[in-house]
Amino acid sequence: MGTDVFQIAVNCIKLVIVFLLMVQAVPLLVWLERRGSAFIQNRFGPNRVGPLGLLQLLADAVKFLFKEEFVPANAVKFLYYAAPVAALVPATLAFAAIPLSTPVSVDAFEMFGQTWGPYTFLWQGYEINVGIVYVLGVSSLAAYSILMAGWGSGNKFSLMGALRASSQIISYELALGLSIVGVIMMYGTFNLTEMIAQQQGTLSFQFLGHTITSSWLPNWGIFYQPLGALIFFAATFAESNRLPFDLAEGEAELVAGFHVEYGGFKMLLFFIGEYGHMLVASALMATFFFGGWGIPFVGVAEVQAWAATVVGAGTSASLLTGLVHFMVFTLKLAIFLWIFIHVRWTLPRFRYDQLMELGWKTMLPWALFNTVLTSIIFLIAHS
Amino acid sequence: MNPEAFLFWFLSIVTVSAGLAVVLLTNPIYAALSLAMTMVGVAAVFVTLNAYFLAGVQLIVYAGAVMVLFVMVLMLFDLKAEIQAFSRGNLSGFLKIGSVAMLGGLIIGAIVMSSNSLLGNNLPDLVVEADGSKQLGKLLFSKYLFGFEALGVLLMVVAVGAVALARSKGGTHAKH
Amino acid sequence: MPLGGILFITIFVIVFGCILLLLASKLGRRVYDPVKFQTYECGIPVQEKKDTKISVKFYLTAILFIIFDIEIIFMYPWATTFKDFILSGQGLYVFVSMMVFIGVFVYGLFWEVKSKALEWD
Repeated sequence: MGTDVFQIAVNCIKLVIVFLLMVQAVPLLVWLERRGSAFIQNRFGPNRVGPLGLLQLLADAVKFLFKEEFVPANAVKFLYYAAPVAALVPATLAFAAIPLSTPVSVDAFEMFGQTWGPYTFLWQGYEINVGIVYVLGVSSLAAYSILMAGWGSGNKFSLMGALRASSQIISYELALGLSIVGVIMMYGTFNLTEMIAQQQGTLSFQFLGHTITSSWLPNWGIFYQPLGALIFFAATFAESNRLPFDLAEGEAELVAGFHVEYGGFKMLLFFIGEYGHMLVASALMATFFFGGWGIPFVGVAEVQAWAATVVGAGTSASLLTGLVHFMVFTLKLAIFLWIFIHVRWTLPRFRYDQLMELGWKTMLPWALFNTVLTSIIFLIAHS
Repeated sequence: MNPEAFLFWFLSIVTVSAGLAVVLLTNPIYAALSLAMTMVGVAAVFVTLNAYFLAGVQLIVYAGAVMVLFVMVLMLFDLKAEIQAFSRGNLSGFLKIGSVAMLGGLIIGAIVMSSNSLLGNNLPDLVVEADGSKQLGKLLFSKYLFGFEALGVLLMVVAVGAVALARSKGGTHAKH
Repeated sequence: MPLGGILFITIFVIVFGCILLLLASKLGRRVYDPVKFQTYECGIPVQEKKDTKISVKFYLTAILFIIFDIEIIFMYPWATTFKDFILSGQGLYVFVSMMVFIGVFVYGLFWEVKSKALEWD
């Protein structure tokens, strides 16, 4: 966590900010989803409250807070209340481990009559050197909140929805886990920061002793692992229970799946969890395949030099560099989030047998094929 | 108390109390959820030992896969009969005493067997790298390669056995 | 060590969620009506659920998931060290040993598909 009070305090505040970032992204995304779907379906969407309907989010939050408290008579109270809170945890823990920008180095300064030594703060909740394994492990805990909600509601529909949701999540976790074996092999590490560092600069790789460089393509993972990227992204749709894989919520058969009995703020907490998974998926997509916070054609050193001319060298330049890269990362995140939303309003829902068939008989073999192919090419290229 | 010791004691207390809850709670669902909590606690203890990769695997395999199956199965049964079976009756009393005796034997045995290496100061100096996952991979594919391949075959046999059990008569997917 | 941070944010999120739930339960207006608190069942009285019969497929999926998940986990250490093995000249040996493992994996998967264990109806 840190060596002195200042560092510990900053790290704690940073963690809270990461969590709040995730929470505040939800109303924005809900607004984007409603407006976007409206435009796709030739409607207006929310446009009355505030400019462009942006204040609708605030109105919604207040409305959720003032909704009537409701516990079904058959519910198991403890699990019924614990499930929405548990839904928040996995996504937050996973999101906090993803590097959002370049580290900020703070020079030594005076405060309260004491010198506080130079620090380096990472632009992320915490650095974990087995980043991928940690993120996968934490996200796999998401099944518990769904099962708790399904069983705790004391309702057949919830139970069936929870069963389907957890079955689907675990089926696609296989394809998800297998599709990044190629990525791990390519970078030779589990660490997300090192992965991003390896994707800086222009495309260059070694093949049979020759070094091949491209003059303009960035050195992104997508050019080495296109199939892996496709499978990974498709599997994350199923992991976050989004259309076309939102079988858990099939309105026609299961009314709303595991959260039939939930309303008001408890429902909103589930929402935050779901959108949090989308955020994590998009952030991982950007980190593995699209250079993370890296800016194509522009190196970190150039941004630092530019920042030094704007605000002067030292702490503020480092902070500005971090901010610029954070903006770039946010932009990449926004593109993937928009794809999530666009797909939801474009594709129809699968049938349950088709869903399982796709997961086990199509995506798993293809992910395996990707692994084998990558290792063969790797073996040829490096020997 | 330095922060590392505090973390260790905090995690140990959480893990052990979750483990006790598994045994002491009569409702199987809560017991299974506590077991999941124990698994997460054990993963955290692995992190204090710098075994990051093992901690991740503990989370993915035990907390994320095995316990999900347990919870899923338990939730689908009508549990009233099971709750009674576990909490009363002569047989269950004998079972309890037997289990306590076995646990006591296990603890005493563990202490006796390990007192040499734990209480004595002849511990080998462990070199723990910051990232043990590469070390693990290198060991796995050189020294323990045969075990690794045998494990692949074993897992396949387990998968075949599971399918065969599900297809045996009486199941919803029985052969017609 | 990131563990302190992980514990801190976990506890923070749980407290945050609990406070919000508490706040929402205090702020909302409550009108009691016994019918409202019945379990949702499309407007008819709830049927007491006696021995729920769920397709064995769900269990089978979960068990197969565990098995394949363990196999995939074993590929991770291999993937991180593969480059080092190639550079130290042991590439082909490690590659072949992994291919044997993947071969067993593929055979298992192929058998599951062939025995219709993964069919849903």
